[in-house]
Amino acid sequence: MTEHRHTAVTRRGFLRTSALAAATAPWLARAPFAAAQGKSTKVLDFQTGADVAKAEQEGEVVYYGHDGEAGIGVLLDAFKKDFPKIKTSYVRLQTGALYAKITAERSAGRFGVDVLQLSDISPAIDFQKKGGWEVHVSPESSAYKAEHQSSPAGHYNWGGVTFAGISYNKGKIKPEQAPKTWKDILNPIHKDGVSAKLATSGMQHAQWYTLRKLYGNDFWQEFAKQRPKGFDARAQLFDRLSKGDDRMCVLAEYAGYTLFAEKGAEIEFVAPPDGLPATAFYIGVVNKAPHPEAAKLFVDWALSKRGQAVYQNQKILLYGSLRTDAGPMPTGKRLADFKLLFPTDWNDYVASHPVFVKEWNSIMGL
Amino acid sequence: MSVSQASIEVRDLVVRYGTVAAVRGVTFTVGAGEHLTLLGPSGCGKTTTLRAIAGLERPTSGEIRIGGSPVFSSSPSVNVPAERRGLSMVFQSYAIWPHMSVFDNVAYGLRVRKRPEAEVKTRVREALELVQLHELGERGASKLSGGQQQRVALARAFVFSPSVLLFDEPLSNLDAKLRAEMRVELKELQRRLDITSVYVTHDLEEALAISDRIVVMRDGVIEQVGTPAEIYDRPRNTFVADFVGSANLIRGRRRPDLERDGLVVLETAGGAVVHGTSLDRRAGAEALMAVRTVRLRLDRARPATAVNAWPARIRQRVFQGDFTQYHVDWDGRTLIVRSAAAEPLAEGDEVFVSADPGYCVLLEE
Amino acid sequence: MTSLERARSWRPGPRLVSLVVGGGTAVLVLYPIAYLIQASLSVGDPQARPPEAYGLDNFTGLDRYAHIFGNTLLVAGVATIVAVVVGFVMGWILTRTNVPGRAALEQLMAMPYYVTPLMGALAWALIGSAGSGFVNQLWRAVGGSGHLIDINTAWGIAWVMALFEGSVAFVMIGAVMKSMDPSLEEASQVLGAGRVRTMLRITLPLVLPGVLGAAVFVFAEMLGSFSAALVLGLPSRFYVVTTAMYQLVSQYPPRFPTAAAMGVSLFAVMFAMVWIYRRIISSGSYVTITGKAFRPRVMDVGGLRWPLLGLCLAYLVVAVVLPVLVIVYASFQRLTGAVPSLANLTLANYAMALSLDAVRSALWNSLILGVATASLGVLLMGFLSWLIYRSRLPGAGAIEYLLMFPQAVPRLVFAFGMMWAWLVFPIPIYGTLWLLLIAYLTVFLPLGLRTISGVILQIDRSLEECAQMCGATWGHRLRTVTMPLLKPGLVAAWLLLFIASVRELGASILLMGPKSKVITPAIVESWFSTSSELTAAMALLQTLAVAAALAIMFAVARRAVQAGGE
Repeated sequence: MTEHRHTAVTRRGFLRTSALAAATAPWLARAPFAAAQGKSTKVLDFQTGADVAKAEQEGEVVYYGHDGEAGIGVLLDAFKKDFPKIKTSYVRLQTGALYAKITAERSAGRFGVDVLQLSDISPAIDFQKKGGWEVHVSPESSAYKAEHQSSPAGHYNWGGVTFAGISYNKGKIKPEQAPKTWKDILNPIHKDGVSAKLATSGMQHAQWYTLRKLYGNDFWQEFAKQRPKGFDARAQLFDRLSKGDDRMCVLAEYAGYTLFAEKGAEIEFVAPPDGLPATAFYIGVVNKAPHPEAAKLFVDWALSKRGQAVYQNQKILLYGSLRTDAGPMPTGKRLADFKLLFPTDWNDYVASHPVFVKEWNSIMGL
Repeated sequence: MSVSQASIEVRDLVVRYGTVAAVRGVTFTVGAGEHLTLLGPSGCGKTTTLRAIAGLERPTSGEIRIGGSPVFSSSPSVNVPAERRGLSMVFQSYAIWPHMSVFDNVAYGLRVRKRPEAEVKTRVREALELVQLHELGERGASKLSGGQQQRVALARAFVFSPSVLLFDEPLSNLDAKLRAEMRVELKELQRRLDITSVYVTHDLEEALAISDRIVVMRDGVIEQVGTPAEIYDRPRNTFVADFVGSANLIRGRRRPDLERDGLVVLETAGGAVVHGTSLDRRAGAEALMAVRTVRLRLDRARPATAVNAWPARIRQRVFQGDFTQYHVDWDGRTLIVRSAAAEPLAEGDEVFVSADPGYCVLLEE
Repeated sequence: MTSLERARSWRPGPRLVSLVVGGGTAVLVLYPIAYLIQASLSVGDPQARPPEAYGLDNFTGLDRYAHIFGNTLLVAGVATIVAVVVGFVMGWILTRTNVPGRAALEQLMAMPYYVTPLMGALAWALIGSAGSGFVNQLWRAVGGSGHLIDINTAWGIAWVMALFEGSVAFVMIGAVMKSMDPSLEEASQVLGAGRVRTMLRITLPLVLPGVLGAAVFVFAEMLGSFSAALVLGLPSRFYVVTTAMYQLVSQYPPRFPTAAAMGVSLFAVMFAMVWIYRRIISSGSYVTITGKAFRPRVMDVGGLRWPLLGLCLAYLVVAVVLPVLVIVYASFQRLTGAVPSLANLTLANYAMALSLDAVRSALWNSLILGVATASLGVLLMGFLSWLIYRSRLPGAGAIEYLLMFPQAVPRLVFAFGMMWAWLVFPIPIYGTLWLLLIAYLTVFLPLGLRTISGVILQIDRSLEECAQMCGATWGHRLRTVTMPLLKPGLVAAWLLLFIASVRELGASILLMGPKSKVITPAIVESWFSTSSELTAAMALLQTLAVAAALAIMFAVARRAVQAGGE
């Protein structure tokens, strides 16, 4: 009895729903960015929610990112190899500058960006608040944990992780002076010989925040006494470290260390036992993009195993992949082998950004 | 060469630069075909007046008419740009364009007027022949000597038959000998072309040689207008007398009781009595006369004239080649006498100075 | 007069064209400045456009950055003094003494201008960094401790800037020395004064106004310099106003109003300097081509010839040869060390550089932009020079002041205003090469105007007046008399504009888009985000590309001159 009623209701319900669907289908079909949950096709070896034929017709994707020129070059070349019909062009700026540029453009009514990649979550969340991201839940995001996506999902995705420890020049620092924990960076013996990144860096914000939580608000004021030097990119940090212009780098990204150690630099990497501050990069499709399908295709590709292989295995990028099915990094280690420190309260983290900028600028002499 | 001549009328011309007035109310006319010279020391406003006629300076007030039609007027406001006045000008610095050949320099005005190339060729050749430069047509203009550049400037100026030719001290950059030669050539050219011309110079000999009439200017105003002979022999005031040739100035008290035959008589402070012509000029109780240095005669014996013969003594003798200049003690002062006489007089000689009353000119004060 | 009337149909008069061109250019200059000032007065949310509220808070808040202003004045002052001394000494040696090879050396003195300050900064960073600099490595190798020189200080920055601005000072002072009437010195000597006394009592005072003018000009340029401070100052936390502004707008959230207030302050100081400079030079007469050319008397310095020659060569080595060699050397290294070793040599840097889209497309864009800027610029600035100095139209003086404005504004500051101004402009040129073209034409106006007007002022007015008397309209005169006579100036201006636009950094760095990248910002980006070796390779590629382009231009120009005949 119950079954019959259930079936009857269901059938009628089904008819009603399908009538409704029929009535609204044209509208849904016309809406350019219907949440494509479930609608996905397989291209190459990954799933994409984009219309590949249309993407190739659009023929171009404009990418705004923060990695070094060489890194972006490698990334886009890999995409071009997979999709030769889609041209790529990019703008490279440090995250702060990048975000400043895109917001200025959008506030003036210029929408020319397809894909945006940031290295700091504060601007990513801010962009979400402004409705800057296109809501696109990538089919590949099923391989990611919920905490590694935007909330609600579909705005941006965590595309990879970079983490930083301490690195020093073996020729400049004697073994007994070598740092072992984070507190060692406050040792006055290292004054005028340490480097870090500038306030424009997302990674730097993450380190500031996490170590502050661990060691108290005075930690960085103490560090200011070391008169550190600030730079724009990890390549520069490691370049100077290798040559001995700096003795120690307190925001030494594992990726940078690996690259330069291979070149033969006399540097050492220290993973303090309290943990390594980590940050992800955040990638997503931009709202009102000039090439929407190509944008979606790119993001899906980036999150797929193919894209992640590029991000993780290319030495110049070396972001640890957050895919639940990811392989090890080229050094043989996995993310799980390191004690990574992520901020726990994201709202508090975002709210702390202006405080960070002010304090860090004055630490850096600006 | 067809010739069109235009007359020029300048009325109450004032040209001011800021607070400085370069021309302060100048009025004169140039008849069609006439050769007029503006003569005066530097700063007198002659060049400014010329450039105002050309259209290169904008006057503050007044009127300028060419061929009867106004090219500048302050009320009603008219100002025809220089390139449309149909005049031509020879510049002091010649203004030869170094990046063109001689031919192209001369042909410029014709080409601006879009004359057919065949006509241009003929007329340029004729013009160059007139200035005796016909073999230099293809030469680069920057490789000419000063005198040659001057001739090219001339040829360029008249080749397109302007109605008026303006000259801004064209000979002043030449050395003395060349200047004297060019003066004669210029006069011959003027006669052949017969175009109305206005000439500006500070050189007296030039002005006397080539002009139909001369306008003497000083400090932005006209001092005297007249033919060369009039200016020379009948200067109106001290300035003109002094500027146009060398003159002796004699001041004295009128002696109406001695006047007859239309002459005017002055008695100097030292008692000498001088008879002169009044030229219908008015004079008060005290008057000034001018006598050209070349119009005074020196004789050892008293000449037979009734009047204007006085004893004097030679103080200094300066040999000048074409003439000898004597400084003579007379009437308690020095008279300057220029004499071309062959027989020299010695310093210290007692002589007689005499002058025809016609050459003793009463000056307006 | 009728033949003249018939020959002419209606053509736009000089007033109309001048109004359009002069007015248009003035708008180009003022539009970004207006936006800059608006941004500096914006209080409230720094990112709101248009500003929420207006006030002077940004200016009063600048005292936080007093040390930055101090740095700027220090660096600019020291650099100016060194540059002027270098320029004066070189000028005196090359125009007044009988040092051998003067003519060739004078041509070579222009070379530092082609070795851009950026390349010089990069090279000297490699030479003089406290840790890894070559000089210091050698110093430690011979037993010294620590470092001999540290280029990342105010003195280092000033040194590099002075090296490259020194050639500008030389050109300006040398020109003044050459236009001195030698009989003035001869009179002194005839009256019994010795050579040294003559130089001190006669030459120096006569040359002083010109030297002062050059000093003021160089100081104004130094205030706005960017690349040396960027490369050398940042590593040691040493900021000047321009690099501080760059930092402020490059972070998130960007602090536009503060940066704008800094820019306006700098602008005010530079404006005052430029005004002083113009007062100094306008109190002299510059007509020198009327037939009288001065041949300055050359002094016989006897045995001193050789040391003085050595001095000139030393300058050239330090300013040109050394930086180029260092860059070449570094570009072939894997990891730069002072002591070369075969194991360290590699071509990988070049391979990488050539493969980078940033390099390939950027180089191409830069060259095209350079040719476009130079060609359009020469026409525009030639006309504007004529308008200001020869046309005697009303308002010419005002136009001149307006167009020299960009000189008083550091390029970065100007580009900042442009970025904001052109973002909202309805025509979609933002992010394209067109925007860069407009930016370059605007910021190079003073450079082009100065070069061309230097020549125009030397042309006797009567040459144009005569054309006028022959019946030529203003357009005809411009075309047949003025422009041909200006040719040497126009050619010089073309070269200067081409080089300046290829090496431009401050404006380009803010105005580039994904498809409009240019090479110098790319080199700087590379310095900050890759290795110094790769950067060296890129810098060298830029130099080679420019040299090749210039060689082609010269060949083409020479062929055109020969074909056209003189």
